[in-house]
Amino acid sequence: MEAGQVEAAQKTGKCPMGHGSASLAGVSMTDPQVMAAPGPFYQALRKDSPVHYDAKLNMWLVSRYDDIVTVLRDPLTYSDKHGYAAQYASGFFEEFKQILERDGGGFFPDVIKDDPPAHTRVRRLMDKAFTAHRVATLEPQITALVNKLIDQLVAKAGDGQVVDGVNDFAIPLTIAVICEQLGFGQLSADKVKAWSQAVTAQIGRMQNREQMLANAAQICDLQNFIIAEMRAREAQPREDMVSDLVHAQTEDGKLEFGEAVSLVRAMIIAGNDTTASAIGNLIYVLATQPEVAKTLQESVDDDRLLNRFVEELLRIEPPVRALAKMTTKEVELGGQKLPEHAHVMVLYASGNDDETQFECPRNFDLNRTNLGKHVAFGVGVHRCIGASLSRMEIKVVAREVVRRLGDIKLAIPVDQITYAPTVAVRTIERLPITFTRRG
Amino acid sequence: MGVKVTFVQADGVEKTFDDVATGQSLMEVGRFNNVEGIMGDCGGSCACATCHVYVTPEWQAAVGPADDIEVATLDMVSDLFKSNSRLCCQIQLREELNGIRVVVAPSL
Ligand code: HEM
Ligand code: FES
Repeated sequence: MEAGQVEAAQKTGKCPMGHGSASLAGVSMTDPQVMAAPGPFYQALRKDSPVHYDAKLNMWLVSRYDDIVTVLRDPLTYSDKHGYAAQYASGFFEEFKQILERDGGGFFPDVIKDDPPAHTRVRRLMDKAFTAHRVATLEPQITALVNKLIDQLVAKAGDGQVVDGVNDFAIPLTIAVICEQLGFGQLSADKVKAWSQAVTAQIGRMQNREQMLANAAQICDLQNFIIAEMRAREAQPREDMVSDLVHAQTEDGKLEFGEAVSLVRAMIIAGNDTTASAIGNLIYVLATQPEVAKTLQESVDDDRLLNRFVEELLRIEPPVRALAKMTTKEVELGGQKLPEHAHVMVLYASGNDDETQFECPRNFDLNRTNLGKHVAFGVGVHRCIGASLSRMEIKVVAREVVRRLGDIKLAIPVDQITYAPTVAVRTIERLPITFTRRG
Repeated sequence: MGVKVTFVQADGVEKTFDDVATGQSLMEVGRFNNVEGIMGDCGGSCACATCHVYVTPEWQAAVGPADDIEVATLDMVSDLFKSNSRLCCQIQLREELNGIRVVVAPSL
């Protein structure tokens, strides 16, 4: 859209791309229609009930940007640790824990999800792993991986097979990148996907007992794998992140073995679904919104614009829609009194869509002057460790896809696109596409 | 021997720290001494722009310019950007910066 048009739209108080507000009566965030297209629901929340009790989830949904930042900047009042513990394997916790102790080497709480000061102690070990400067040195490696996968897509399409932008591309790519960083030989995408889904399901509140048992078995398998890799490096250090963690010293002494297991597990899980979702979203947007595809084509040779493109993509389609925290005392938030031990759901996706912060939030606008304000990576002490790495992956994909593939289209009707049934991450499950070859 | 650093917060309050150890970043000094507006969310990895400061003119030469990667992160907060903007996690304290004075940028 032309700058003049944007101004005109703002003056009349109307944005060309709105969600339209929905009614909140009897509606839950977990309803399938809301899960598939949450925008109108978020907008209604922000307008009518900014700190809203969702009875089905038994959680308070926080939807306005300012309230989200208030929550995330006060990690002792809105605790990750308590929120996580209460949420984890919800309803089956004891049984789940016993299974992990018996078959999975132990039950290892996520130290990275602890509260300060315990969190600060381990977080400092992780902060230097993926600095923007270190990630910049990985660009050639990541570009090579991306092109290898594009070669495979092209070959598959050349054979007349349907190509899946998520399962044939986004997921194997993010797995390959993180395996390389951690120092694992390449793991099968199916395996990592199964592990990730099992771990993510524990905080998604949507599993029954049978699913819990299947997920627990997957998590045991994951932990046994991690423990074997760590033991090998205890004997013989290597130049990789797992080795760094095995031999890491915190300021107060050594990182415990179980803590290191939980950190490696977090690195495998946290970076995959999220970055793969972002890449899936990128391809989806290119296939369905020609004007965004055009914007990307025009930005592809300009590093500054390309960085802005990635950031705006993360703002407009954030992979993480919501995560839970728990109040450690009675507190007032956005005019609503919350009791102690209230479950609070932070709606990152709604924060990024808040019209009081982002003008015409549904417009894909590279020229925003406050792009860095979006909350797709969180805010505060728990802000994402992998932000620079995932930005780089998305950027390289955006650049190489535009250079090599043209005319990307969905191979199924848009209403057949489904999202993984978890509240935490909004992931396209299958993305059949067609394209033409450029180079 | 430590160095002296001064932050001027957005509310005008000045916070001066004498005898700060070199070898750490300016962000670390601000964050661990509760200077308002120095959050340092990403722990100094140049990824969040929550440690944005304006270097006072007399210190600009000694501090030096931002590199390309830092400029890219600063571009995400272009509404707050000025020619003397720096992300202070990228400013390592050293002897020559003894007395440095920076103004904290408004919060995001
Ligand atoms: C586009 C991709 C990604 C998105 C959208 C994303 C988003 C997030 C969000 C929203 C948080 C939580 C902040 C909070 O608690 O409020 C987070 C934390 C975290 N992320 Fe990411 N992430 C992505 C990629 C990655 C990657 C690639 C890695 C690993 C290399 C990673 C590792 C982590 C870890 C370990 C945490 C926990 C940090 C802590 O609690 O201190 N993430 N991420
Ligand atoms: S602390 Fe994040 S950019 Fe400086």
